Amino acid sequence: MELAGHIPEERGQPSGADELALIRRAQGGDPEAFEALVRAYDQNVLRLAMQVVHSQEEARDLYQEAFLKVYRSLRYFRLEARFSTWLYRVVMNVCLDYLRRQNTRKEVQGPESDDGQPEYFQTLPDERPVLDPERAAHSGEIGRRIQAALLRLNPRERLVFELKHYQGLKLRAIGELCKTSEQTVKNCLFRATQKLRTELGDLV
Amino acid sequence: MKKGRRGGKVQEAALSRGERARIPLPFLQEKGRGETLMECKQCQEYITLDLYGDLPPEQRASYEVHLAGCAHCQAAREQARGLHELLAQRSRLEPTPDFLAECRQALAETLERERLGWHGLVREWLSFLQLPPQRVAPRVAFALTLVVLGFGLGWTLRVRAAKVVPSVPGGVTASSLADADLENMRINDISRVAPDPSTGGVRITMDAQRHFTLEGSLDDPHIQQLLVYAVKSYDNAGIRRDTLDALRARCKSPNVRAALLYTMEHDPNVGNRLAALDAVHNMEGGADLQRSLIGVLEHDQNMGVRVESVDLLVDQVEKEGGHAAILSALGRLATSDPNRYVRMKCASALRKLGSDGYTQTDEK
Repeated sequence: MELAGHIPEERGQPSGADELALIRRAQGGDPEAFEALVRAYDQNVLRLAMQVVHSQEEARDLYQEAFLKVYRSLRYFRLEARFSTWLYRVVMNVCLDYLRRQNTRKEVQGPESDDGQPEYFQTLPDERPVLDPERAAHSGEIGRRIQAALLRLNPRERLVFELKHYQGLKLRAIGELCKTSEQTVKNCLFRATQKLRTELGDLV
Repeated sequence: MKKGRRGGKVQEAALSRGERARIPLPFLQEKGRGETLMECKQCQEYITLDLYGDLPPEQRASYEVHLAGCAHCQAAREQARGLHELLAQRSRLEPTPDFLAECRQALAETLERERLGWHGLVREWLSFLQLPPQRVAPRVAFALTLVVLGFGLGWTLRVRAAKVVPSVPGGVTASSLADADLENMRINDISRVAPDPSTGGVRITMDAQRHFTLEGSLDDPHIQQLLVYAVKSYDNAGIRRDTLDALRARCKSPNVRAALLYTMEHDPNVGNRLAALDAVHNMEGGADLQRSLIGVLEHDQNMGVRVESVDLLVDQVEKEGGHAAILSALGRLATSDPNRYVRMKCASALRKLGSDGYTQTDEK
């Protein structure tokens, strides 16, 4: 079963036959084979985790949790689906569990640092001059509103929306990852979009 | 779904109070309760799909027809477009090479513990405890002393950025400067003002900076010279990174090659060292490259950087043939590197090279 989506390939991603060989070796306990599989996908996994949680510490934890689960359950992977599909399902479930835990704690605000500004990741270059501080402040406020609105979605709506809008996956691919139908994904997306329209309508 | 009173293909929905509340009142008054309401609801879902490029082709015709005749849906489409543009303002988060290396290291250590299992962990803990306590404290003190000395030496020898404008031996006349030059000039220090009564003139010696933009081809030797200076010496890590990205396409130039190798070994920013390692992937082999890679493997403080250098060294051996120094370095670190993951990586590299028929005694 092919993943009908757009998960961008990373540099050095192994071809089908090479990947199959790596999987078999990793299932046999070869640590280097598992490392090669991790390297082929981990940048995308980390990017998704960072987008979902907007916290460096949490993203690192999600990354670790996802690949540890992959490591522990790799022996059960039966090659019926593509490895990438199976891997991203694991990642999805880890992200969903995280979002459900956040929902349970009823955290409706986005993560903030001590000075009240949103926590931003280190991105290169290290320093960039701010050409228009007022514009930068305004766009910072919009970013916070958007993040707060996303946090108000339920976990599944949030994840479907992140995968569709920010990762660009096709609806069918999201359905495969969530083990649900394309129509269900569509309905989830429509609900999420409607909620965001309600939350952010004054900014449009 | 119930059939409409007039029968036929009309599908009538029983609207709840909440659904009616969401439909604007003028719309309800203008349109019948039947088919157009349902079509609008469907149309607005299609608007969402259309914005993502997911509208089924077989629905496009009826969707466009409805939009053309429905002001309400046209307004909804504009609002949906506005929302899309707004959502693009959310910051896109990209993992930096530094952060990715950190995550990989943490994962490698976790997986190693997972492989050892509790037996192995207990064994390691017991072997650590067997060190007599009186031998532990002096070692810790010695390590701390080295850290303090190293920091002090590094602070003293840190590279400073040179002045932007080099000194001009013959001086610069005010008339040769344009107004824009003077406006953009920032004077850091005036060290001397010497009037000359015979000419009625004055000589001002100062330290000044001037902001300007230089444009040119990467093949221009002056541009290259400036970039090479920036990648090796400039204080700002982000500028050094941008410069590295610009220079990597010209790694055949000897000066650029040397600058990339320098960055790989000496840049204080881990991300930049990793980026330089990536840049040398496509570099032609040579003794200088191998020396630098060995230097990185043996001395870099970051485990992720050392691991990356192992892969490049293996490439070098495979492309250029067996090299005693590389194999010797790998062999040494496979047993003595303080990081377990690096030791595993070196051992694995040696196995890989050994399986191709190279041994430590082979020499090209």
